[in-house]
Amino acid sequence: MESIKQNPLVKKVGFNRIVLCIVLLLMYALFCILTNGAFVGSRRILSALNYAYFLGFLSLAVTFVIATGGIDFSIGPVMFCCALIAGFSFTVNGIPMPAALVISLVVGVVFGIFNGYLVAYWDVPSFITSIASMNIAKGVASVFTRTQSVSWPQSGADGGWFRNIVSVGDIPMGLIILLAVAVVCAIILNKTKMGRYILSLGSNKEAVRLSGVNVRKWEMSAYVLCGLLVGISALFYVGAYTTVQPGYGDQYNNEAIAGCVMGGTSMAGGLASISGTIIGVFIISLLQEGIMALGLDKNLQLIITGLIVIVAVFADVVARRRKN
Amino acid sequence: MGEVILTMKGIDKSFPGVHALDHVDLEVKKGEVHALMGENGAGKSTLMKVLTGIYKKDSGTITYEGKEVEFHNTREAQDAGIVIVHQELNMLGHLTVAQNIFIGREFKKGIRIDDKKMNEEARKLFDRMHIDIDPRETMSKLTVGKQQMCEIAKAISHQAKVIVFDEPSAALTEAEIEELFKIIRDLRDQGLGIIYISHRMDEIKVITDRVTVMRDGAYVGTLITEESTKDDIINMMVGRVIYEDPKTKNMTPPGSPVVLKVEHLNAGKMVQDVSFELHKGEVLGFSGLMGAGRTETMRALFGADPIDSGDIYVNGQKVVIRSPQDAVKYGIGYLSEDRKRYGIVVQKTVAENTTMADLDEFSNGPFINKKKEKEVAEKFVESLATKTPSVDQLVVNLSGGNQQKVVIAKWLTKNCDILIFDEPTRGIDVGAKNEIYKLMNQLAAEGKAIIMVSSEMTEILRMSDRIVVMCEGKKTGELDISEATQENIMNMATREIS
Amino acid sequence: MANKTASKTAGTNKSFIDRMGGQKFIVLIIVIAMFIFFSAMSPQFRKYTTVVSILDYSYYIALMAIGVTFPLLTAGVDLSIGTGLICYSLIGGYLIVHQGWPVAAGMLVTVLLGVAFGVINGCLVALMDLPAFLATLCTCMITRGFGAMVVGGYGIPWPTAAAPGGWFRSIFKIQIGGQNIPIGFLWIILLVIVMSFVLNHTKMGRYTRAIGSNKEATKLSGVNVKFYHVMAYVICGLFAGLAAIAYSAIFATVQPGSGAGFELDAIGGAIVGGTSMTGAVGSITGTLIGVFVICLLKTGLPFIGLTANWQQIITGFVLIAAVLFDILKRKREAGK
Repeated sequence: MESIKQNPLVKKVGFNRIVLCIVLLLMYALFCILTNGAFVGSRRILSALNYAYFLGFLSLAVTFVIATGGIDFSIGPVMFCCALIAGFSFTVNGIPMPAALVISLVVGVVFGIFNGYLVAYWDVPSFITSIASMNIAKGVASVFTRTQSVSWPQSGADGGWFRNIVSVGDIPMGLIILLAVAVVCAIILNKTKMGRYILSLGSNKEAVRLSGVNVRKWEMSAYVLCGLLVGISALFYVGAYTTVQPGYGDQYNNEAIAGCVMGGTSMAGGLASISGTIIGVFIISLLQEGIMALGLDKNLQLIITGLIVIVAVFADVVARRRKN
Repeated sequence: MGEVILTMKGIDKSFPGVHALDHVDLEVKKGEVHALMGENGAGKSTLMKVLTGIYKKDSGTITYEGKEVEFHNTREAQDAGIVIVHQELNMLGHLTVAQNIFIGREFKKGIRIDDKKMNEEARKLFDRMHIDIDPRETMSKLTVGKQQMCEIAKAISHQAKVIVFDEPSAALTEAEIEELFKIIRDLRDQGLGIIYISHRMDEIKVITDRVTVMRDGAYVGTLITEESTKDDIINMMVGRVIYEDPKTKNMTPPGSPVVLKVEHLNAGKMVQDVSFELHKGEVLGFSGLMGAGRTETMRALFGADPIDSGDIYVNGQKVVIRSPQDAVKYGIGYLSEDRKRYGIVVQKTVAENTTMADLDEFSNGPFINKKKEKEVAEKFVESLATKTPSVDQLVVNLSGGNQQKVVIAKWLTKNCDILIFDEPTRGIDVGAKNEIYKLMNQLAAEGKAIIMVSSEMTEILRMSDRIVVMCEGKKTGELDISEATQENIMNMATREIS
Repeated sequence: MANKTASKTAGTNKSFIDRMGGQKFIVLIIVIAMFIFFSAMSPQFRKYTTVVSILDYSYYIALMAIGVTFPLLTAGVDLSIGTGLICYSLIGGYLIVHQGWPVAAGMLVTVLLGVAFGVINGCLVALMDLPAFLATLCTCMITRGFGAMVVGGYGIPWPTAAAPGGWFRSIFKIQIGGQNIPIGFLWIILLVIVMSFVLNHTKMGRYTRAIGSNKEATKLSGVNVKFYHVMAYVICGLFAGLAAIAYSAIFATVQPGSGAGFELDAIGGAIVGGTSMTGAVGSITGTLIGVFVICLLKTGLPFIGLTANWQQIITGFVLIAAVLFDILKRKREAGK
């Protein structure tokens, strides 16, 4: 075991990620066997991918916040809020589609600024700002849409072109965009000042402050980036599922956090892996699709992701305890 | 003084790399106040931790009330009647005084906690100590002095026979110290054995009956307080060690300009009206005992903690420093005493820590130029002789001395001209110490101005061109190295300020 | 009574507001002011039925809030109480409605489920050292999924007042001469008294506070910190179970998938009532008063033309305001 871990190639890719990839493949094989082959083929995989798109952006979003040592579980409801406000503006207020897309991003960023400002400049615990903004997001969306659900246009309909972000013919555009954004996120996290400071302050905020760095600004930036990515995820949600209802969205918090912590991002902050998050998201999405294919209760998904997070976080706690 | 109640004989304790206690003896009699003295790091606290079961001794015997004993935790020691009153108070600020005293062993009436009885019992304790504290007051609302009294009351309520006071007066006012002494004398007269750890020479003379001195983890000797002078004790504490090339004269080039001037700096209780000047190419030592306010002064100067008042001039220009960001902008770098907490980012590599303070220099727009970063980091690894497999190594895997070098590299990368070294060699082994010293001398020779806070007398005498001595938040003296001796520094550091 | 005299003598140098209970007193005035405001704005609000409906809403929120005060006092939190409440109520109701269990047995299961999840939360936080908000977020999701799975996704109507087994609804509301009498409030008052006693006069309460004040020092004093830390979550779970009973008794049908957001009302109530996010500070009576701020918002806003959705938004801001107030207060105290 140790010798495998020390192998230079394994070290480069990351042991944790290799294990996750194997888990992913095994899960796929297992579902294929359990469904007597019904799982083989592109339909199920496409359906799982549809789920992976919005969840992927959501999970990337929360990765940045967790990297600072914070948490955000307003992401699910904020995603719905973005989709509702932008969709309502398009369908009812009749603004053009490009403007609607921009609105979705703007709403996400506004919530990011709100959360980030309270956490970074006022030292409010991040989970408190999240529960508050989770409810504010639900409330705002309901007020804005007068508690009506919103359906985004079908492809072919006016403004339906936006669905090209999910797929153009047989080309899974969503996957391409998700991976492209993931690459950008990885670059931000690993190659830029912002990423360097986000990870560093997640590891030791005081040491970074004493190096003369404006830690408040950089901590807030993680939340703003998180908000932007949530805004993007909203577009992919409606791109795949068309209709959003006000008052929901919090079930996705846990799945996004699960993808993130499974991928090796530490809840204590300072350690994050974008590729790990993406693989984690694929596992969650496949799991969701597998549960559907097997005809199991979809609520099982909630329970399993809950358990996954508990196990992943506990593993992280134990690993840190052993290091000290 | 009565019969012997506690004897520690030949206590030996080693930690990896450190021989913390080297066959130390201590004997305490009933009805005496026994001072335990020594410089910082002499091993007093370690000895007390061995006594109360926090550390396990390697060898030696502890005899208590005629029987050989070994405690496995503080609770066992407490139950046997040996209690420590800590310097840092172990209190529950939100609970009342009586609730604190009896936490874990409340009086009960059925399932109800009998607060009335607890208040009465606490009151009785306070009466016995002749002090007036309302047992029903919330702990955090009391002054530090009163909180200390509560800790003592808690100790007494354990039916203590031996009470250890670990620097009890560090945070107390004059009046409170008077009160404390009265209590200690009372306890002594009731036949308790008291071990009193303190740095304050005057207190030792006033309150104690005998003094045991330790140095570098070893037992030096025991004196009867009445029969000895302050100088006797100081001589025993500092010893007569020959130091490796101590500075004998000020090496600062004559006429070198003042790069930092601090006037009437005030910041909280620990920094009161501190003024000093720092010249280019100089190593200015800050000496003093633990809790003298040296670190607090440096943190305030660096903007890490808020300043109440005072002026700071950098290169003759008056500057306002509100945050570390400001300080770094003016070319001040701070190397904290607690590297793990304030110095390094453990989950980052050597290279990443090296550029932490100056990332803008290594960035093209938002992107970090990792090649340049690596080059500079490698340059410093070479010039500072940092032992690391590569600059991509996580700093957490480096030894203390090499971590310190990474922090030095951080500030050199930023091109700071004023470097504050706070306990630069704490937790660093002897070989690495010498390297750090050489490095500091070299930096001074290159024209950097260095402030060095140190609790080690040898370090102060070896490194400093001039020495500022602090005591209880105030500057109590300033010496040129040519006139400095261990004795006169220790005198200033223990000076009673009225 | 010793306590009363204590606050009297110890309070001689305190301000009038502090002597009246500090933040609690201010919040009580806010509650009264809100009541007067809504009454002035809307004649509809001034009716007896409104008071009854405010109280109806207050039961389950108050019960959750009393429970969650304990984890909050240990400097933790329990986010699973809202979905938990629905889960316990669904399962209890399912046994009664679909399995023909006696109502009393169903109620017992409801409460025991709360206790069981309290034990789980306590173990995750106190024994396994998981961050409280994360562990309870997971149990929040798990309870939601679990409840919905057991009932198969359909709403559960607990027996109506007139139906056989409907007696349990009269625990909270009885009808005399066509008038609804909200006797549930008496139970709330009784439980507030009992839990105030537990918090202020028993080891359980004393150590809960002590853990929130300084866990390490408490441990060094020889207190079985782990046990009492777990117990804080068990109490919280028990009260979530009781809240489930109250919810089932007041509302006609329990819907799977609901319950998210209830915890905000409860935690918001506790924090508005003076419980500190950083632990150790807080009281049961304060929590009750805080709950009424939330309930008045919930019931009052529609009367001045704002939909229930506004209540969600405003509660969010009220929570942040209360936490900021707490942060500023501590900063001021630290600066002294």
